[in-house]
Amino acid sequence: MPKGSNAPDSGRRNFLKGATFAGAAALASPVAASTQASDPPKGSSKAAVPGPRLAAAETMPPSKDPVSQTTSGGDFMVDVFKTLDIDYLAMNCASSFRGLHEAVLNHGGNTKPEILTCPHEEIAVHMAQGYAKIEGKPMAMICHGVVGLQHATMAMYNAWCDRVPVIVMGGNIIEANKRGPGAEWVHSAIDPGAIARDFVKWDDQPTSLQHFAESAVRAYKVATTPPMAPVMLSLDAELQENPIADAETLKIPKLSKVIPPQGDSAALAELAKMLVVAENPVIIVDRVARTPAGMARLVELAETLQCAVIDNVGRMNFPSRHPLNQSFRRAILRQADVIVAMEVNELWGSLNAFSDRIVRSSKPNYKQGAKIVTLGSRDLYMKSNYQDFGRYQEVDLTIGGDAEASLPILIEQIKRLIDDGKKSAFAARGQKLAAAKLAAVEQAKSDATIGWDASPITTARLCAEVYGQIKDEDWSLVGTAIRLTWPHRLWKFDKPYQWNGVSGGAGVGYNLPASLGAALANKRHGRLTLAFGGDGDFLFAPSTLWTAAHHRIPMLYIVHNNRAYHQEYMYLQAMAARHGRGITNTATGITITDPNVDYATIARGFGVHGEGPIIDPKDLGPALKRAIAVAKTGQPAVIDVVTDPR
Amino acid sequence: MNLFTMRSAYVAVLVAGAFAAHGPGPAALAQERSSGDAANGKRVYLADGCFTCHGRAGQGGAMNYPAPAIAKLEMPVESFVSFLRDAPNDMPAYSTDVLSDKEAADIHAYLQSLPGRKQAKDFPLLNQ
Repeated sequence: MPKGSNAPDSGRRNFLKGATFAGAAALASPVAASTQASDPPKGSSKAAVPGPRLAAAETMPPSKDPVSQTTSGGDFMVDVFKTLDIDYLAMNCASSFRGLHEAVLNHGGNTKPEILTCPHEEIAVHMAQGYAKIEGKPMAMICHGVVGLQHATMAMYNAWCDRVPVIVMGGNIIEANKRGPGAEWVHSAIDPGAIARDFVKWDDQPTSLQHFAESAVRAYKVATTPPMAPVMLSLDAELQENPIADAETLKIPKLSKVIPPQGDSAALAELAKMLVVAENPVIIVDRVARTPAGMARLVELAETLQCAVIDNVGRMNFPSRHPLNQSFRRAILRQADVIVAMEVNELWGSLNAFSDRIVRSSKPNYKQGAKIVTLGSRDLYMKSNYQDFGRYQEVDLTIGGDAEASLPILIEQIKRLIDDGKKSAFAARGQKLAAAKLAAVEQAKSDATIGWDASPITTARLCAEVYGQIKDEDWSLVGTAIRLTWPHRLWKFDKPYQWNGVSGGAGVGYNLPASLGAALANKRHGRLTLAFGGDGDFLFAPSTLWTAAHHRIPMLYIVHNNRAYHQEYMYLQAMAARHGRGITNTATGITITDPNVDYATIARGFGVHGEGPIIDPKDLGPALKRAIAVAKTGQPAVIDVVTDPR
Repeated sequence: MNLFTMRSAYVAVLVAGAFAAHGPGPAALAQERSSGDAANGKRVYLADGCFTCHGRAGQGGAMNYPAPAIAKLEMPVESFVSFLRDAPNDMPAYSTDVLSDKEAADIHAYLQSLPGRKQAKDFPLLNQ
């Protein structure tokens, strides 16, 4: 493996150089060598007679073996990170990146990036995923390029499906003859990125420091260009550890971010015409708002048209109580004559009813003849192996481009087409939608009263109690349990940071560490971060709480403890009913009981404030008050709430 | 996956409509009062996993689709039993092999006995 000009003359694995010195010594003593070679051993000696090299090694001064160096490749790598303004480097420490680790601390001063100690690589990636969705920029993580990356991959897949930039790095020892026996062999690969290539947007294995600088900047650029996604760099250990041999030639290239692509202006004009003439246009959004400007633009579009918006809540796209937010009235799709889907990953799933029966079937849930338009970056980039793109949906117009970036043009086009008559018609439409929204909210409140005092506690009561405690704070909800929709039905979300979407790939174990990453981003803004999360999810990465305590990241984490992997409970019940041979034993392999898990005690074990288990709904309010008080001191807190399933 | 992934809201509406848990008034309800054993119905409701989708209080929930609230059920018992035998979409169809007519009627009685919705205006936490 060529190492170019960075190849050191004092490498820690410089066995080759040692051998060269010995060989030179042998050549310098031809007589002795000849004597030894022509004087075979006598008798049955057990030990071999020293050869010329050994003889030389014993008679010559020791070969050069420096014990210190004044620079390291890792120092330069840290300089690159600082140039990219990377705030954090999440990691579970590992020898394959010990050079970079040390450089971050002693060359970089453990700032930009600051190390986040994570007990599992999946935690590190998920923290980066949650962080990026609040802060709007990527975090880096590093791991062993083999076993650490294997741990990290599920989280990388979640980030991939969620369109979130994460800079993943893995340590490796490229040159086989430089690897020490044992761990360095089993922790090395010729192509570490292979395991993750299906769900990263770009990856590389730099072989020089200049190569690293250019690839790191490129990785950042690629990751943050919509559609965003994780990227990966494999870092050779010697590149990190050994002295910089060519410092005067190294250059960190300038980062020039890609301006997100706007949709074609003619196509947007055509869409504008369709929307203006439509009687009942509906906009479906999922991951539209990638910056704080996104929500404001979407509100302007909806208010200009006075049309319905269905939010799939992949991001904080649209205010929850806005009169045009019809997310819980999806039956309106059956009246829609124009449906515009923006940054919707799996549109087919939003437009079709699927029946999970012995014979699987489906049927559209929108009016036949309705015009369907997509606007987004989904069609601009995808890969084939993992099927996160969903079933192919027929549409009438596909506009490739970043939706948030395209909205100003679309809004402008629409405004040009609206006359007074249209304004009046739109206003009437908006009033009807507002009335329907009001009715839907009242219905939600009425539904929430059912089982209000029940134990286990209903999820509606739980969410109402939490909102009662946080509504006057500057709050940010950054996690939720599966199908826990009450916050979006009952709470007022109207700030860009008050929600950041879900896992993306539905990989369990996302919620706790991703919430912590988001909490880290919120910390600098002084926001109260809270998250709901299922008990099953919690158990995948409970040691996240240690990271929370160690780095003093304030967060209120509420365990939605239904004591089961509940989605699977329902699936198994369906299987048992289908097979007709008993429906009373499906708890086996599903429930998390016997013993019940005490999440508050687990939290305390990691140095985190723990409340619970809360069984009586009357105890919720006081427990929440105590936990919020802890979070306000800058510390994390966990509340274990024993709830009904959903 | 998105949080709501309500693959079809309209299916949920159909199911909710079939249960009509907030349809007829008290008079109609009285006429349809089930003669089943509510106590046994509760036992079966929990043992057979009905609560996993519809909640222990019959408050509803969600699987891949929203599962409607069924507390204070107002569907006639015959319709209820018939519905269970040929439930639509995600809801399992419960044959007599796993759920007798008597048990189904008992569940019906239990659901009718549940208090159901109250006036939301009486709950300060729901008016913030």
